[in-house]
Amino acid sequence: MAGIDETKVQLLRGIVQDNINGLRDVRVTRIKRRKARKRSWLWAGWIAAGMTSLMVTLSVVPKADAPAVSATPVQQKTAVANVDPAAQAETLSHPRPFDRGTIPLSIKTVVIDAGHGGEPGATSESGLTEKEITLDVALRLRRLLKNAPFKVLLTRETDRSMSLDKRVSFANENKADLFLSIHVNWMEPHSIRALETYYVGPTDDPATLKLASRENKDSGYSLSDYKKILEKIYVDVRRDESRTLAYTIQNQLFRSLKASNPALENRGIRTAPFVVLIGTQMPAILVEIACLSNEDEAKLLTTEDYRENIALALAKGIRSYAKALKVADRKAVN
Amino acid sequence: MEEVNDTLCVGIDLGTSRSSISASNGERHVVDSYVGWPIDMVARKLVKKSVLVGRDALDNRPMLDLRRPLERGIMKDGSEKDQEAVQELVRHLISLAGIKQKGKNKPKVRAVVGVPAEAFRVSRQNLRSTIEGIADSVMMVSEPFAVAYGLEALLHALVIDIGAGTADFCVMQGRYPTEEDQKTLPNAGDSIDEQLMKLIRERHPDAQFSIHMIREWKEKHSFVGEPKGRVMVAVPIKGKATEIDVTQEMRSACESILPPVCETLTSLLMKVEPEYQDKVRNNVILAGGTSLIAGLPAAVTKALNELGGGRATVVNDPVFAGSDGSLAIARDASASDWDRLSL
Repeated sequence: MAGIDETKVQLLRGIVQDNINGLRDVRVTRIKRRKARKRSWLWAGWIAAGMTSLMVTLSVVPKADAPAVSATPVQQKTAVANVDPAAQAETLSHPRPFDRGTIPLSIKTVVIDAGHGGEPGATSESGLTEKEITLDVALRLRRLLKNAPFKVLLTRETDRSMSLDKRVSFANENKADLFLSIHVNWMEPHSIRALETYYVGPTDDPATLKLASRENKDSGYSLSDYKKILEKIYVDVRRDESRTLAYTIQNQLFRSLKASNPALENRGIRTAPFVVLIGTQMPAILVEIACLSNEDEAKLLTTEDYRENIALALAKGIRSYAKALKVADRKAVN
Repeated sequence: MEEVNDTLCVGIDLGTSRSSISASNGERHVVDSYVGWPIDMVARKLVKKSVLVGRDALDNRPMLDLRRPLERGIMKDGSEKDQEAVQELVRHLISLAGIKQKGKNKPKVRAVVGVPAEAFRVSRQNLRSTIEGIADSVMMVSEPFAVAYGLEALLHALVIDIGAGTADFCVMQGRYPTEEDQKTLPNAGDSIDEQLMKLIRERHPDAQFSIHMIREWKEKHSFVGEPKGRVMVAVPIKGKATEIDVTQEMRSACESILPPVCETLTSLLMKVEPEYQDKVRNNVILAGGTSLIAGLPAAVTKALNELGGGRATVVNDPVFAGSDGSLAIARDASASDWDRLSL
């Protein structure tokens, strides 16, 4: 019994330490959020002073694979005593949170990705394919955004195959400010008609993992690789922007489509490890505009009006996000 | 280790399908992990509550915005409503245990909450933030580890906690388990439900049934191996109540989790020091609601025989094994440890 008790003591030590590390993350996040709010006021003055301060600010925004940044005073103060050095290093290597209001940003280039191509993607029982729908909606969206104050590029304009990494490179090389990937879902049970918008992040949802694995087909990585990558990029500064964009688009889509598709379910915004969302360097989302597994919805998709409605809602969402970004910038500069 | 009068320890197993609580005041409860809000004023008048939890929520589901807020044993990401649902669920569990949550005599609550073995750190953080305000101090532990701790199976044991959302594995080697000692699989109760639904729909395309009916059938009749009798269930077909035989479908669906479970078991065993592998093989412990499938321990034992022999057993109380283990951890942790973990 004495042996067991000693073992228990050791085990309890492990549990408590593990939890203290987790708790410190929560405390650091809270304090960082409070500090970030205060900082944005101070930095607004800086930004107005010119490009020099802009470059300085940009240098603190690390990429996912960037080396660890040095510890901030806030983090040092909140570090709990007796933590093991490995765990401490891990926490300190997180990028600092970033308030978008501190840098005037605007949208100059939007990349629209029509999912699949060549290979059909999901196919309805009546034979309607995901690749046709996504391309049709992407082309409509480009037309609707013709007069927008930003350039609109499509990853594909015909029925051709394009690997996921090429789609990512296309957006990155064209210095896109926003990336929107259009997909059509396939869900069980087939009675579901759901609208979902994804941005990058980890997920424990098996249905989402299944979907991600389907959409990430032929990428060369395994899902377990993504899990590890995503843990590291969880505090990626793009994430907040992508979440805002996802929220705007999802709401717009649901509001616009509900009238013509009353059974439509709003599944909200979710995080998932899609390759196109991980690799892109700008705010990026993936929209599942409908479910091809539902024959009634597939029928709706065969009508031009419904596809035009989807494109209109996406266009409205993008414009609304771009507008909100400008307002935020003006507030920050003033 | 010490417990003052105004402090209560609780162990909570937040499950995808069912959640349980074991409290230091002797109370133990289990509820279905469903939370629902009345969809409109009429529904609210009928159900006479602003929020319903557990069986109450399931029974009134047509009138509710019903949530099953946990998936794979962790909070769904991206929905504030699900976060609120988890809070309601935890509040409900604590109130079932007779713990006051308001007022002058409200005790301090120290909670140990089980999470899947491989849950993301961020998922743990989200859950911790959600429980903030309900419990005064919170510890998260991996579910199979909590089971092992409660059973004092701390050395040369392998715990498989099979719930609805996940099957969690943990090898106990007398030390705090590392990432290498643990594994989480999505093949658990829910994947059986999905499989069963698909198989029955294929064979009886006109039969009408819901996922809730599927779950009830599984809970009553699940089995692996040779059937002991026919599994008959009643479903409406073209509006007429009809009995259908789902024996084969039930067997196939339940057996669908065996290959991944046995593969993971083997891969974890291979990581154990060779001289101890025999001991671990003979001490495989099954817990969680899905471990109640008839014939499951025998099927796992059979798989162990192919590895040179071994034995799998089911814990006495699979539903409470996780929360009892968590409670044991909560009681054994010292007051100073809890102080360091105050939210």
